[in-house]
Amino acid sequence: MRLRFLLLAAAPLLAGRAAAADLPALWAARVKCTVAVEYVTQTELERRPSVAYGTVVDGAGTIILPSAAIDLRVSPKQLRDFKVYLPGDPEGYPSEYLGRDAYTGWHFVRAGAAVRSRLVPITAFARPGAPPAGLADEIWGIGLRNKDEDFTPYILQSHVALLQSLPQVTAIAQQEVSGPGLPVFDRDGTFVGLGASSFGQTFLEFSGAERDGAPVMLVNLEESSAFLVAGEVLPYVGRVPTNPVGRPLAWLGAYGLEPMDREVATFLKLSSQSGAVVSEVLPGSPAEAAGLKAHDIILAVGGQPLPRFKPDRVVVDYLERLIAVRAPGDSMTLTVLRGGARLDVTAKLADEPRLVREADRTYFERIGFTAREFVYGDAIARHASTTGETGVVAHLVKPNSPADIAGLHPDDWIREIDGVEVGDFASAVARLDAIEKDQLRPETVFLVRRGSDTAVLRIKLR
Amino acid sequence: MSGGFDRLLDSVVRIDVRELNFEDGARRIDASIGSGVILSRDGLILTNAHVAGPKAVEINVTLSNLERVGAKLVGWDHWTDLSLLRINLDDAKRRGLQFKHAEFGDSEKLYVGEVVYAVGTPHGLTRTVTRGIISNNNRYFEDTEGVDGYETGNFNTWLQTDAAINPGNSGGPLVTEDGRVVGITSRAYLGANNLGFAIPAETARRVVAGLVRDGSITRSYVGIVLKALQDLEGFYDVATNSGVLVDSVEAGSPAATAGLRAGDVVLAIDGKKVDGRFPEQLPPIQNQIASQPVGSSLVLDYKRGSRELSATLVTARLDSRMGEEWVSDPWGIGVRKVSSAFARENQLTDETGVLVIGVQRGFPAEVAGLARGDIITKINQVPVTSLDAMRQIDAQYAAKPGPTLFEVQRDRRVTLVVLKP
Repeated sequence: MRLRFLLLAAAPLLAGRAAAADLPALWAARVKCTVAVEYVTQTELERRPSVAYGTVVDGAGTIILPSAAIDLRVSPKQLRDFKVYLPGDPEGYPSEYLGRDAYTGWHFVRAGAAVRSRLVPITAFARPGAPPAGLADEIWGIGLRNKDEDFTPYILQSHVALLQSLPQVTAIAQQEVSGPGLPVFDRDGTFVGLGASSFGQTFLEFSGAERDGAPVMLVNLEESSAFLVAGEVLPYVGRVPTNPVGRPLAWLGAYGLEPMDREVATFLKLSSQSGAVVSEVLPGSPAEAAGLKAHDIILAVGGQPLPRFKPDRVVVDYLERLIAVRAPGDSMTLTVLRGGARLDVTAKLADEPRLVREADRTYFERIGFTAREFVYGDAIARHASTTGETGVVAHLVKPNSPADIAGLHPDDWIREIDGVEVGDFASAVARLDAIEKDQLRPETVFLVRRGSDTAVLRIKLR
Repeated sequence: MSGGFDRLLDSVVRIDVRELNFEDGARRIDASIGSGVILSRDGLILTNAHVAGPKAVEINVTLSNLERVGAKLVGWDHWTDLSLLRINLDDAKRRGLQFKHAEFGDSEKLYVGEVVYAVGTPHGLTRTVTRGIISNNNRYFEDTEGVDGYETGNFNTWLQTDAAINPGNSGGPLVTEDGRVVGITSRAYLGANNLGFAIPAETARRVVAGLVRDGSITRSYVGIVLKALQDLEGFYDVATNSGVLVDSVEAGSPAATAGLRAGDVVLAIDGKKVDGRFPEQLPPIQNQIASQPVGSSLVLDYKRGSRELSATLVTARLDSRMGEEWVSDPWGIGVRKVSSAFARENQLTDETGVLVIGVQRGFPAEVAGLARGDIITKINQVPVTSLDAMRQIDAQYAAKPGPTLFEVQRDRRVTLVVLKP
């Protein structure tokens, strides 16, 4: 009897759903939230175009791209010629790169005025108070074809297979459900999430040499089966950076955080929670000033024990996001385990020292290399003092150039030029400039440090 | 051939070595074949360090009359790739075994084009003689890999020959027509045609004397890496054929303490002028420094920019990057002690810890995620300062297995893992 009642109640609901939404129409309206973004990485030697997918988040033409859309090792100054393409339209519209937000990892781009009116923000399809995507929910999303097909939009459909905290709540669908960076909707057309970078999937590869099949991991770069749920997206779309690097960047200075695994937690009688081992405490950092020590195990932040994640390493991202969400000047109280004792340390976060990405660079065509300012991270990477060190770093060495032939390697730390210690970046550039301009000069001699070794390199200019 | 050559043939032996290796995280015996030459009536055999070293657990020698007899390691010196063995004389006497011994020749007098013979056991083919000439009597090559990880070649140049040298020739003599040993064949370029190399008798003679006396060769270390000045004399404003360039100074070394820096030009050592114009001239200079007694003072006159300076260094003992090795059977892990040289090369803060050289599949170390290249710095929160410390904990574990906490450094990251029975 009860069963029949349920069936009766369910029937109109199902009928109502089927009639509620014409999927192609929903899709056509929502395609206007999506764009392809093309940009050029311009180095000393080449121009390399890249394409990423983005989602429009406001009425001002602001677009977010996933973290992986732009290589973080590239200096923002080398990112050029941003263009926004509308799905199905071969025209590229000049646009502006705004920068990367450290907390979400998203890159922000602002579409040019010419095209803004044709964009619709994703917030138009968000329903406040809507229940989050649930297990087995029917979902669909948008994919874009490649540039040679005018980024033609298409539809992908799937069901939610799993919800995981990574540490953001991430839904994993049964198969690919959107392009990475493109939105996902429910059957009614409500925004339920944003396509994340896809996971690698393991396949067996058979060949003449590997008749039993060798496992290979494949990552689909064009479509993803994972997406951040709407609750992890909508509250943060307003985090538009005011500069390309996204400063200010909250900085603690605990380097090499490593997750405490379940076995270790049990051994230390901490089985209900997680933790992170601090590999090194960076000199001059807030962590050092607060008295944090290398090999401390961070157990709690602000009195809240670090939760357990699957896999264990997610706790590191969780902790890093707790730092990134704060601002320089904010306090952060860490509970750590040190030699069997628990203690609290309170660090006042600072703005992170100049990054390698921000370092000044100058290319010297005749010598054939790019000199880069020596920054904090360079000192850390080389176990060098973080104060008072001079010199410049060879950032790029042009193949077959005099510098290359003399044996200069990228990342070599140039300490002396022609037997004279290199001062700051500006004076190094002035001296290298003079060397380049002196057409009669037969050679220049660099003293470089590479790992724990030093080398004297004789660069023949004539 | 000469009578001396016949006598030489009777003094060349095949050496079968069974070696204990821990690189799979377990005790594994590897077998290999090399060659050697008997040097004395009392059964001293000279061979290569990479043929027989301290890891050897069983050494058997096949004499020219095809009789086999056991031998023991007297001492080795991987820096020159030489090892000295002694035949089990009691056994030889009991069985009435006869053998002859060879004499050293003068490797300094060798000229390029002089005919030489290599005698040995290539690919196990005993008493194979090949003929060639001296292709170069003062060959220098940098060898950063060394022999099985052990540093080699910093203190000598090599004889190069086109006499065919194949795997198994190692440790056999390179001789002149009169049967005198002018070199110990040690290596060849694989895949090349007849590019073989031998350690000169001049070097071997000194090393043999030291190994007979002490069982090992102790050398001095100052921590400078030299480079040939070749064509940089003008830049550094020094006279041609004088001085040698300091390419790098190792942090914390005696040279660093004395204030030497990369880019300095060393002009004289203890008042004796040095000439490091060409790479071939570097090994003798390095050998001059290394031959000083450990702890002795060395005066280095050097040039920095336009200034001529002088520094007094107190030498330290030369250490290998390869520490002692050991395997823990219950954990299934092979380790090597971190040495001061290894710590320096890898920019570690100090010598604490042991390097993982192998893990056995399915054993606690592998299951916990330890891998080759990790450095174990603490066990149960106590720093691992020696292999003995680790052996003790291992013995406790073997007696009463239980979860054990390891602190591990991988690159610059510190991880904790628990090894469970």
